[in-house]
Amino acid sequence: MSARPKLDGATVEVIRHYLNSTAEQMRRTLVRTAFNPVIYEVLDFGISVYDRHRRLISESSGILSFLGANDFAIHKGVEKVGIENLHPGDVVIINVPYWSGAHAADAMLFTPVFGEGSDLPDAYLAVRAHWMDLGAKDPGYVLDSTSVHQEGLILPAVKLIKRGVVDPQIMAILRYNSRMPETIIGDFNAQISAMRVGERRLRQIWDKFGLADVDAAIDMIISHGAETAREAVRAMPDGQWSAHDWLDDDGVSHDLIRMAVTVTIEGDKFTVDYGDSDPGVPGPVNIPFGSTLSQAKNVFKSLTTPETPANHGHYQPLEVICPPGNLFHAVYPAATYTLWSTMVSFELINKALAQGMDHIAASSGSDEPGFMAVGTHPDNGEMYSVSNNEGIGWGGTPEHDGSNALQHLSTTAVRNTSMEVLEHKSPIFHERLELRRDSGGAGKWRGGLGVCREVTWVAVGELLSMKKKTKTRPWALRGGHEPETTNTMIVWPDTDRAHRARMERFTMQPGEGFRNFSAGGGGWGDPLDRPIELVREDVLDEYVSVEKAEEVYGVRVEPDGTATPTAARLERQAS
Amino acid sequence: MTERKYRLAVDIGGTFVDAISYNEQSGEITVRKAPTTPAAPADGVITATQATEASLEEASVYTHGTTLGLNAILERKGAVTGIITNAGFRDIFEIARGDLPSGSKYDFQYRRPELLVKRRHTVGVPGRIDHRGKVVTDLDRQAVVEAGRLLSDRGVESVAVCFLHSYANTEHEEAAKSLLTSAFPDLSVSVSIDLVREYHEYERTSTAVADAYIRPILGKYLTDLEERLRARGFDGSFLIMRSAGGAMTSEIARVSPLLTVFSGPAGGIAGTISLGESTGRSSLISFDVGGTSLDACVIVDGAPTEVYEAEIEALPIRIPVFDIRTIGAGGGSIAWMDKGLLRVGPHSAGAVPGPICYGRGNTEPTVTDAALCLGYLAADEFLGGEMSLDREAAVRGVTEKLAEPLGMSTERAAASVFDVLLARTVGAIREITVERGLDPREFSLVAFGGAGPMLAPLLAREMELPEVVVPAAPAVFSAWGMLMSDLEYDVGQTVLTMLDDATLAQMQGVLAQLESEADGVLAAQSVPPENRVFMRHLDLRYNGQEHTLSVELEEADDQESVAAKFHQQHLERYGHKLNEEVQILTARVRGVGLLDKPSRHLGDQSSGIDQTASRVGERHAFDFATRERRVFPIYERSLLQPEVEIEGPAIIREPTSVTIVHSDQIAVPDRLGNLVVR
Repeated sequence: MSARPKLDGATVEVIRHYLNSTAEQMRRTLVRTAFNPVIYEVLDFGISVYDRHRRLISESSGILSFLGANDFAIHKGVEKVGIENLHPGDVVIINVPYWSGAHAADAMLFTPVFGEGSDLPDAYLAVRAHWMDLGAKDPGYVLDSTSVHQEGLILPAVKLIKRGVVDPQIMAILRYNSRMPETIIGDFNAQISAMRVGERRLRQIWDKFGLADVDAAIDMIISHGAETAREAVRAMPDGQWSAHDWLDDDGVSHDLIRMAVTVTIEGDKFTVDYGDSDPGVPGPVNIPFGSTLSQAKNVFKSLTTPETPANHGHYQPLEVICPPGNLFHAVYPAATYTLWSTMVSFELINKALAQGMDHIAASSGSDEPGFMAVGTHPDNGEMYSVSNNEGIGWGGTPEHDGSNALQHLSTTAVRNTSMEVLEHKSPIFHERLELRRDSGGAGKWRGGLGVCREVTWVAVGELLSMKKKTKTRPWALRGGHEPETTNTMIVWPDTDRAHRARMERFTMQPGEGFRNFSAGGGGWGDPLDRPIELVREDVLDEYVSVEKAEEVYGVRVEPDGTATPTAARLERQAS
Repeated sequence: MTERKYRLAVDIGGTFVDAISYNEQSGEITVRKAPTTPAAPADGVITATQATEASLEEASVYTHGTTLGLNAILERKGAVTGIITNAGFRDIFEIARGDLPSGSKYDFQYRRPELLVKRRHTVGVPGRIDHRGKVVTDLDRQAVVEAGRLLSDRGVESVAVCFLHSYANTEHEEAAKSLLTSAFPDLSVSVSIDLVREYHEYERTSTAVADAYIRPILGKYLTDLEERLRARGFDGSFLIMRSAGGAMTSEIARVSPLLTVFSGPAGGIAGTISLGESTGRSSLISFDVGGTSLDACVIVDGAPTEVYEAEIEALPIRIPVFDIRTIGAGGGSIAWMDKGLLRVGPHSAGAVPGPICYGRGNTEPTVTDAALCLGYLAADEFLGGEMSLDREAAVRGVTEKLAEPLGMSTERAAASVFDVLLARTVGAIREITVERGLDPREFSLVAFGGAGPMLAPLLAREMELPEVVVPAAPAVFSAWGMLMSDLEYDVGQTVLTMLDDATLAQMQGVLAQLESEADGVLAAQSVPPENRVFMRHLDLRYNGQEHTLSVELEEADDQESVAAKFHQQHLERYGHKLNEEVQILTARVRGVGLLDKPSRHLGDQSSGIDQTASRVGERHAFDFATRERRVFPIYERSLLQPEVEIEGPAIIREPTSVTIVHSDQIAVPDRLGNLVVR
């Protein structure tokens, strides 16, 4: 241990606020200067600040999964470049999926920051955002790759900026490998602006408090985080629980893929083992280990310290295990472009814990069932690429109904894309966007509702569907029901070509379209225990049909709104 | 004819109604407070008005700021509201954007706040317009009337109408409005395009819903209040403060109630701008600290940034508001220990029970208790001596709850509470300046609200701001700002076209039309033509970028000069400009109806030689410059001699506020009644 005098808890808190504000100022700079709707409209990015040991000290999202992946990628990035080769003003880009913990399009940039007189970096700033096109085999998302080499230009921890000077040759490579060079260069500038703001702010903090005191404060902030998280884990029961769920297929074959987890809690240790899942597959649903770590971290955070901005300490009790070659630990040259398989596996930890803990919610609709449209816009002849993350129902909880039509749990800071924006930027036209009645799993506390979206193309273009879990249902808890109708996209509905889409690409002609149904959440508790007044309200608001109210909830609701219990409900109450 | 020598402004806050009267003949300002009366808000307003003793018969202008609309939304006490939208899209409002508030991003059992509109009160009607404004399906007029009937039958009192792409073609919304108002005279109707003509269907819908939700109650309240004022002999202009500054007549406020929701904080910013004008300062940061929150806003070249992205509890409201950053920290914020770290907020003791020193049962130390420990407040001087504080209890609380666990003296622990509060504040102010590429060191801090003048000199030290300006009567500065407001009206239209000479010429046509609309509104508020001023702006962005910058359009501008202004602004704010085409997103016109304003002057009395006469005592307090306890002379603000320096450390007290000057600072009263701390 160092002999440094410990700082007082007030100074540490002052420094903590300054560090948190650094990430927040970077976020604001990025959003305001970005070019790409996936950044400014959908908020698809993650910003992290690290100390010299690459320990997370503050962050700002964006996407939760980006944040955890940054923690993994910063280690790999520094390792690959070599710490001694990092200089003030350098900016490194990394997008090798197995190192960066994300697919190739979600490249991470990082910059080392040096204190006065330091030879080695004293801190690192990382910004990850979705790059609109890095020259993968298809425009937009790649849905059926079988090798990383089909997924875009690979940048293996390369210096884009050397000592403050942009490398024109690397920029030229980027520019000529992208179908949307202006957008990616614009976003690159936005990410650099964000890092420069962060750099200035860190220097100010060091000037004000001195490097040594800031270091001491960081140690205390991290041990505080660790202690808080350990305390939360100690409050959980010890035990070991396993759970599994199914991914539709890998986008290439049609076989179900098993995703499994075993969670072990012992004292203040929380171990998550994915090793019992299927081995890696040919299609692009393989998950880099950095991404596996990230999802486990996010769920762990929600269970232990949901309200505090994250730092390295908060993850100390967590250990994540998975052997290389497994679905959850992709190795070269496994395809990983549609690693959103993590969205389907996201709630597995909760599913396991629900066997031993009371305050867990039932599953959400569990997939992110969005779509993407790409093509050449008839109005201006330019390439467009727009996407929408669809809302899903969240699971019923021990205390209340699941919310309707929220974003997936792993992307809670992300927003759906406005229909008016979509219709401006691409030649599509909406026929309908509504909540789906009866789509929430029945329960004492009902699952939230999914939505139905109907879209028609007005000029030829491509549709990409993002469905990963349509063959199996989200799970329920404590006698709640699984949602009956689930996640489906019908392409060319009401025609003899009507096709149930999985993760795939379609060429759409004018007048053709799709109908997308997102899943509701699972129910919690027996629906016959749901208060009769709430069932009545649900019928009046058309969240639940008169038929389901009677059949599943045991409540007969008359056209005049009066509600009476059925025999099934009375029997349940008598028992 | 009665001589109209008074101007009055009355601002309702959470705990108090602030009233200020200004006698234009004598220059005399009277400030009074009365308790807020939530059950019947107009009662408190009338009480505070009468307390100023200004004769209403002799008043020319009565400007009112009210948070009634805001509170109705927060407390879910508005009208039973329904939505009429396109068939197939009745859930736009409920589906919203699907994201969680930033503080809840790891809350995987998140529960949405209660919706303002029940799903049973939403109806879709056939009719559809595309993104270019072309009618794809005609509006089913019969269906609109049937929807109105259905909603009325279900007890709906107020309806929000929003159709897809209505910003591009207003026809269907206008038709629905006239059908509904003529078929259902008792139904209140709000249509989205009257409020916002920009894309994003959810945000436009939620804006219309918020408007519909508060319209009936706000209308009733304003009518009631106006009748009571008229009954007391008032026959001047009854004006209502707007969220983006400026005032409007009560008739306009009844038509556009949503524009009032953030009128409280807007008063303080209007006051800051007017202070800047009268003292020749153009770069200012307003700093308003009350009991539970702290509001800051940046003003550049005399103009605050406006945004169209206000939110009430995650409900987006697309009306012009000042870009105010609020943090949940004020005098009532609770300081507590979290495993060895000292936290301040986010919990607040509020007004009840309030800080420990109020003696109303709270035992958790607050910022106010820390201030008492540090000697900044005196037990017997609070609120002009009307309320006495329990210093001993405050010291005990800070000692037991903070100092002992931190292993430091009570005084150092109290100072640390200020340090932490300050760190949060510094972060918030950096965030609002950095995102615009500004350097806060070029700004004067204008401090008001009960606790602003106590904290601002510290903040200035911390951020190296050159000076703090404390206006006269800082605790009621919002009301003062309302007194200083002109009439204003904003109108805008989304256009979405590339900037070139042809489109610019087109824009002049659009702007002329918007201007004539604004002109009509000012004329309706009895503003004489010579007092009507119009400002034309274009919201521009690089093609492909989302966020816009607003560029003022002058008569002589051509494509090149407009683009140059935009590139320059982009460079200043973001550090780079791009070789990209510029796109016009929105054309805007602001109409201002200039009102005669009171000008404050304290007369020409010569300056005194020193401040001896204003020095009324001394006490020990904590000096942040040396971080030790020192003797602070105490000055009575009303007795200060203008333009004579006071060297720190010093405590400058006045009935509802106190300014703390540290030992490396000086304070100088100016001739307009402001106190400048450097």
